Amino acid sequence: MRKWQCQVCGFIYDEAEGLPDEGIEAGTLWEDIPEDWVCPDCGSSKADFAMAEID
Amino acid sequence: MIPQEIANTIVDPKAYAAEKPIDEAFSFLRKEMPLEQAQPEGFAPFWVITKHADILEVEKQNELFHNGDLATTLVPIDVDQKVRQLMGGSPHLVRSLVQMDNPDHMAYRRLTQAWFLPQNLKKLEGRIKDIAKVFVDRMAGMGGECDFAKDVALYFPLHVIMETLGVPEADEPLMLKLTQELFGSADPELNRTGKEAPSFEDGLVAMQAVIGDFITYFNALTEDRRANPREDLSTVIANGQINGAPLDHFAAMSYYIIAATAGHDTTSNTTSAGLWALAERPDDFKRLKADPSLIPGFIDETIRWATPVKHFMRSATADAVVRGQKISKGDWMMLCYPSGNRDEEVFDKPFEFQIDRKPNKQLAFGYGAHVCIGQHLAKLEMRLFWEEILRRVDSVELAGAPKNSVSNFVCGPKNVPVRYKMN
Repeated sequence: MRKWQCQVCGFIYDEAEGLPDEGIEAGTLWEDIPEDWVCPDCGSSKADFAMAEID
Repeated sequence: MIPQEIANTIVDPKAYAAEKPIDEAFSFLRKEMPLEQAQPEGFAPFWVITKHADILEVEKQNELFHNGDLATTLVPIDVDQKVRQLMGGSPHLVRSLVQMDNPDHMAYRRLTQAWFLPQNLKKLEGRIKDIAKVFVDRMAGMGGECDFAKDVALYFPLHVIMETLGVPEADEPLMLKLTQELFGSADPELNRTGKEAPSFEDGLVAMQAVIGDFITYFNALTEDRRANPREDLSTVIANGQINGAPLDHFAAMSYYIIAATAGHDTTSNTTSAGLWALAERPDDFKRLKADPSLIPGFIDETIRWATPVKHFMRSATADAVVRGQKISKGDWMMLCYPSGNRDEEVFDKPFEFQIDRKPNKQLAFGYGAHVCIGQHLAKLEMRLFWEEILRRVDSVELAGAPKNSVSNFVCGPKNVPVRYKMN
């Protein structure tokens, strides 16, 4: 499981946790998130995210 | 068209200082005219965006709604004309991230974006904690009574951002004075003209002089950091490159100015508003003291409560539709953050201060590509500060009437007299 970080606002998407509030189940891989999904904190697109190594 | 009295209120700096008139005006607009045009006396017409959802809608479409084509803050027609005369046709006195659109915005933001992400800020945590202790110690030395806004909250974020930039401590009073003069150009006590009620034009002349002083200062800092690079943010700006070339000089100066000014005034306003709220709510104070895990939620609520940035402007690059309303290409639009943060459709009992509000989708940092780059630094320093305050202060109450600064752009408490007991 990996973590992805929005490079605009810092929001972290954790594949292990998913985003149940947005209908994205725990364990959902980044590749399986729709392309039109946007960062819940700042509205940036998927293209604005990058792989992030988070402690 | 919005009734004239309401239109005049939403541009009136005194209405924001008094709170009640602006809260009433925005409550009326959210209910009756959530997205409508206003034309206050002396101003060009603009759309007033009062609903939370519409502010997000506009902010996330940063190609359709530009920051920099027209003035980014509310200015009357004559001042706008004067600015353009002074600045070779540009409506801006500075050229920071706030005034930029793509491709420049993205290129300039990338320069410091990683620096402001939480994982990088972690290395500052120990130092910021030490600074918080110094300021809480200072509060302890004031004999149980102080003006929290003026004596404590003003200086803690200032010291953090100045150390972050690499500005020597001896120069902090100058930075504070210039920031207050820049944002307080309408405030009788803070503006540079010394006038009780400076005109917009007086304010413009004074602001240009303030910016000149900032540029003189940061020119010297740039030269130093190019010759002697350090680990600070100024070194990143001074030595940064955009498309293989050094930053445009005016944009570099503007970068320093926005970091130096936006980096502390908003945080000190929010911190002061937080203590003001707690001084009036002893039960909340006790709850927070007993359970520090409530602090992050409390901070989010203080940010919503204070909303220190009162508006930014956008303009449409093409015909658009928001809330079913046609916005024509070139139209000017006001994003009303205090209104969005009191939107009854998003916040339950929005005029109540709730330290455990959940969810709390406050939009005081903005949204989309222009979302506040320093938001994680602001939250980090507030968390460390509140942890220290709540550990050391046993009780707090108001010792007089708090007072807000006078501005329709950035304002918050400038006096919060309190009486307290510390351990």
